[in-house]
Amino acid sequence: MKSRTFIFLLAGLLALANLAPAQASAPMSPKNLLLKNGNIITVSGGTIEGGDILIQGKKIAKVGKSLPAGPDVEVIDLKGKWVMPGIIDSHSHIAVEGSVNEMGDLITAEVNIKDVINPEDINIYYALTGGVTTIHTMHGSANPIGGRGIVLKLRWGGSAKDLIFEGAPTTSKWALGENPKQSNFSGPGRARYPKTRMGVEAAIRKEFEEAKDYMRGWDDYNRKVKDSQASKGKKPLPVPPRKDLRLEAVSDILRGKDWVRCHGYQSEEMLSIMRLCKEYGVKLVCFEHGLEGYRITNELVQYGVAVSTFADFWAYKWEAYQTLPHAAALMAKRGVIVAIGSDDAERMRHLFNDAAKTLRFGGLTELEALKTLTINPAIILGIDKFSGTIDIGKDADLAIFNRHPLDPYTVCQMTLVDGKIYFDRAKYLDDMKKAEEEKKKKEEEAKKAKEKKNGAED
Amino acid sequence: MFRKTFKTSGILICFLLLIPTQAWLTSEESLHRIWAVKDCRILTLAGPLIEKGTVVIRNGLIEAAGTNVPIPADAEIIDGAKLTAYPGFVDSLGSSLLKMPEEKFDPAKVYSGDFSDKDKGLTPEVKAFDFVNLGKATIEKYHTFGITAAQVLPDKGILTGQASLFSLGNPDKNKALLLKDNMLGLGFSAANFMVYPNSLMGVIAYLRQAFSDAAYYDLKRLRWQKEKKGLERPDYSGQLEILADYQAAKKPVIFLCRNQHDIRRALSLAEELKLDFFIGDLGSEASLVIPELKKAKARVLCTVAFKAPATSFHSQQGKDARDKAEKEIYPKNPAKLAEAGIPFAFSSLGTDDPKSFIEGVQKAVEAGLPHEKAIEALAKTPASFFGLDKALGTIETGKIANLVLATGDPLAKDVKVKYVFADGQKFELKEAKAKDGEKPAVNISGKWELSVEGGIKLTVDFMQQDAALSGKMTTPFGVFDFTGGTVSGKEIYFEMTISVGGQEIDLYFSASVEGDTMRGSVVQGTQGSAEFTGKRIP
Repeated sequence: MKSRTFIFLLAGLLALANLAPAQASAPMSPKNLLLKNGNIITVSGGTIEGGDILIQGKKIAKVGKSLPAGPDVEVIDLKGKWVMPGIIDSHSHIAVEGSVNEMGDLITAEVNIKDVINPEDINIYYALTGGVTTIHTMHGSANPIGGRGIVLKLRWGGSAKDLIFEGAPTTSKWALGENPKQSNFSGPGRARYPKTRMGVEAAIRKEFEEAKDYMRGWDDYNRKVKDSQASKGKKPLPVPPRKDLRLEAVSDILRGKDWVRCHGYQSEEMLSIMRLCKEYGVKLVCFEHGLEGYRITNELVQYGVAVSTFADFWAYKWEAYQTLPHAAALMAKRGVIVAIGSDDAERMRHLFNDAAKTLRFGGLTELEALKTLTINPAIILGIDKFSGTIDIGKDADLAIFNRHPLDPYTVCQMTLVDGKIYFDRAKYLDDMKKAEEEKKKKEEEAKKAKEKKNGAED
Repeated sequence: MFRKTFKTSGILICFLLLIPTQAWLTSEESLHRIWAVKDCRILTLAGPLIEKGTVVIRNGLIEAAGTNVPIPADAEIIDGAKLTAYPGFVDSLGSSLLKMPEEKFDPAKVYSGDFSDKDKGLTPEVKAFDFVNLGKATIEKYHTFGITAAQVLPDKGILTGQASLFSLGNPDKNKALLLKDNMLGLGFSAANFMVYPNSLMGVIAYLRQAFSDAAYYDLKRLRWQKEKKGLERPDYSGQLEILADYQAAKKPVIFLCRNQHDIRRALSLAEELKLDFFIGDLGSEASLVIPELKKAKARVLCTVAFKAPATSFHSQQGKDARDKAEKEIYPKNPAKLAEAGIPFAFSSLGTDDPKSFIEGVQKAVEAGLPHEKAIEALAKTPASFFGLDKALGTIETGKIANLVLATGDPLAKDVKVKYVFADGQKFELKEAKAKDGEKPAVNISGKWELSVEGGIKLTVDFMQQDAALSGKMTTPFGVFDFTGGTVSGKEIYFEMTISVGGQEIDLYFSASVEGDTMRGSVVQGTQGSAEFTGKRIP
């Protein structure tokens, strides 16, 4: 399946070549758009059958029935189509240049995905073809504290800066278990501490203590500066401590500034890290994968930590054995905020299929299932005031399908970000056809020219 | 310096044995350093084109240039009729003049983890000056394409090393030097093994910390120098000492940017770290970042290799799309920079030699770069980039005599450089080469024995394919390969570099062939020549 999809997309690359540069060179200012007669799944307030959405600039201006078009409004008829809030993938690693892991050190809180965004990654476009409008792209899971992640809006064709989701809080990616203790890393290399789960947690704790010392050092310095100023030079101006950008980043975590996203599978280590975060006042927002989270739903709810998980992807390593396809639904039903993430460029294109699985396994309602792709990841990322539902005043990030998004046969038709159409399947297929015809024409011309030449030689 | 000249001569004695000493004393080494080039067309770049004028060169400098310039009585006169004089070109950023010591990577390190700073690419202490290799033949190769100055930079790793700028008038680097340790290279390539940093994001974080540490080092050092009492003495750090010279915009750094995103990264780092900087546009994508470059008042050193970076959308679509982009889109980069008014000069990074460097510039002109802008980017702009606009870049009184005399327009494909003045030294470019275009009238493939004047015997295994000549030569100093030779009519020509006692010597062979014999001469740079005869070994 994966390779077939890939081939299909490859075939379309020729057409993409025509599309993408045009977008890059001439970003149109969004016009007023009226989407008419669609079945609108607002996620926040039910489904409006045969409803309209008026988009003014980048925002949703009106949602309802029989909205007047007014002058200077482009109307798109969505009869029989389904509209949902743009899908938010809160666990992704695409659009990153270079390695997603800084393996060189144990704790690398100072590295930042924001510095290495690759806005030309074709996977951004592929994600749009699956209705995804926002992603959280992160450091990998090689380190107990890996580095900062970034929330991107898929404004394909823009620069790295253009893609950044303004207003989203900064995040810090942590990891527990097999990966930071390097159980699955083969090949030569220095054996890096830690080699046990205990060591992973100890490494984080040790770094916290260092950061606290570091902060004390600066507080001390600032106090001495004040003293010196007050003494009018009698007390000497102190020499400042060395600025350590790693400890600065860890200090930001301790100050609760960075929202922590912690990769983990096992319930014991999740419980343990919750205790640690509570002790240090860290804003632990979400467990990544969290396949055993269904075992500790009370604790998760009590702490207020969400889980970004998979629908039915498990048993790829031993720490991912103890789960079941019902895990997402079980957690959601007990009140845990659950998001379904991709962790993968291919899975990212059909997250709506994955969300649908929670209906079959665990019996979530359609609304609950769609929340795992929309408002729940929005809450986890701290962007729920901008996106995640179809409501007046929110960003016009929308995904349009030919059938209900949870229908197994549904296909995403159109994707809008900030009220602008970034993917239009009909246009895409048309362009692809044209490109193919063009190619055929050229080949035939070349063939004819060759025949003519051969004829002349005869 | 004297030792080196002596050594070179000594090798020549070995090689050419019986040539009388004075034969090697060519004009270039002469003590007479006064020339007048009369009746030439002068592209001064300092004012309008002079259709017929005179340039007087005295003791390394331009004494006068213009229409009514009297010819000094003591000057040696060069007839410049039919020649165009223009300022010598500058390769503003290259690494091909460097000869770094070969070091084998010890694979045991991968297991032990004992990586050196060099393995990590943290080598700000590597100075181009220490590793530059300016052979006579090398200099001449640059002259052939009108290049008289080159900035050389170690370009590997993260803190890549420090640049030097050379005027290519003398193989002695002490004499050729214009600027030493004038810039620091900053690269975005992380090491591949388990060391910090080994990711691009790690590299950027590393640079932030390094420059922060450098500023801190400077602060502590200055405080201690000033107060001494009551303060702890700071530790010495060679690397931070160097970085301290570049932080706070004291000296410029060059960001070696592989693509447009690296350029944006560089611009934001430069702003954040308050660096004086140049953008090395190795991916030919600066034209995609024009508004940002303009805002940052950035100066660009753009390569003319025109290779699409791996991140590029074109590269992601396979070879055909990439090739097409490299042919049609990337060569337009300099033209677009010129149109937007971004100051830029040319870099040879990514090209193989001076020839492909100038061919790259020609490609940029074909792709729409106005001719005069191209010349400016090769002469005047680099001079101002290096803060040497009083000394280089134009043909004006008082400037360093770096100028070229060629048969026509400097960037024309068929132009031939006749004379080059570099630091006021005259270099006459010999046309030892067989005439182009004539079909080969001989096939010399096979083994030949050459007897060089003085009794040296050389065995050559020639391989001739149409007009192209390559082969292998057995000398008393070892076996050496050569390629790129030509056969035209009955004339053959080839160049090769041999290594004698650790020193590289460039040799130029030309001969005419008659049946199974040949007669010709071998030239070592401009130092001298010897006759030889050859016969085919049956």
